[in-house]
Amino acid sequence: MTQRFAGVPDVLAHADLDDSSAELTVDSTLYSLESVYGASFTFIDRCFVFLDRPAEGQLRVTLAAKKSATQDELRGFVGEFANELLACAWREKITAENRGAIEAVTMQALAGAMGPPSLDELEDFDFSEEPFEDPLGIAMSWEEKYGKDKAKRKQGEGPEAAAPEPAEEEA
Amino acid sequence: MRELRFHRDLYAGEQVDAALKVYERFGTFTTSEEGEHFVVRVESKSAARERRLAGELANYALGLTIRGRGAT
Repeated sequence: MTQRFAGVPDVLAHADLDDSSAELTVDSTLYSLESVYGASFTFIDRCFVFLDRPAEGQLRVTLAAKKSATQDELRGFVGEFANELLACAWREKITAENRGAIEAVTMQALAGAMGPPSLDELEDFDFSEEPFEDPLGIAMSWEEKYGKDKAKRKQGEGPEAAAPEPAEEEA
Repeated sequence: MRELRFHRDLYAGEQVDAALKVYERFGTFTTSEEGEHFVVRVESKSAARERRLAGELANYALGLTIRGRGAT
């Protein structure tokens, strides 16, 4: 015996009291299949859940109570399912928007969990490679390049001697 | 006899087969394919047992399908 739920259009949801089941129709343009799966999964401990696609753009969810259920209980299932569906859709949207941040945090957590390199790994590491070439001496510090000591030493030899001299590498 | 119609877009065929294997000792299943659906007819000792068997089979197939897709 098919019964309407008070306040819910018959095309959206109705109950079959003989079978202790309720059917609700979901617009698949509003809710993704993943959201429907997520909401369905939370009900399989209380109901037998069955999905179907009666028409393009629609999904039909049948929630059959595992034990005999009243119309109020079935209405409760339908309401809870609708809420859970909305929560799943919202979670899916948040996850999609924050995927980059989630991946970055996960990567950092995994890298931290791996711990410092072992002695074997350090032994295998190739330290011989030069970091980079610097023919113009750009990466050198001022002290390395012009040398304070040299400047002080030559202070007494004349004003021109106090001027910084180029590094040996440049000569 | 109860009939379950698993839509191809919603249930993975191999997962429906896996669910059938799990429950085959509890009843008799007849399978066929009709258009977009895998059709399973469930027969058991009583109507109540058929309802439960069909429901458990549907839940199991749904759970395997969801797990296979990595949803939830």
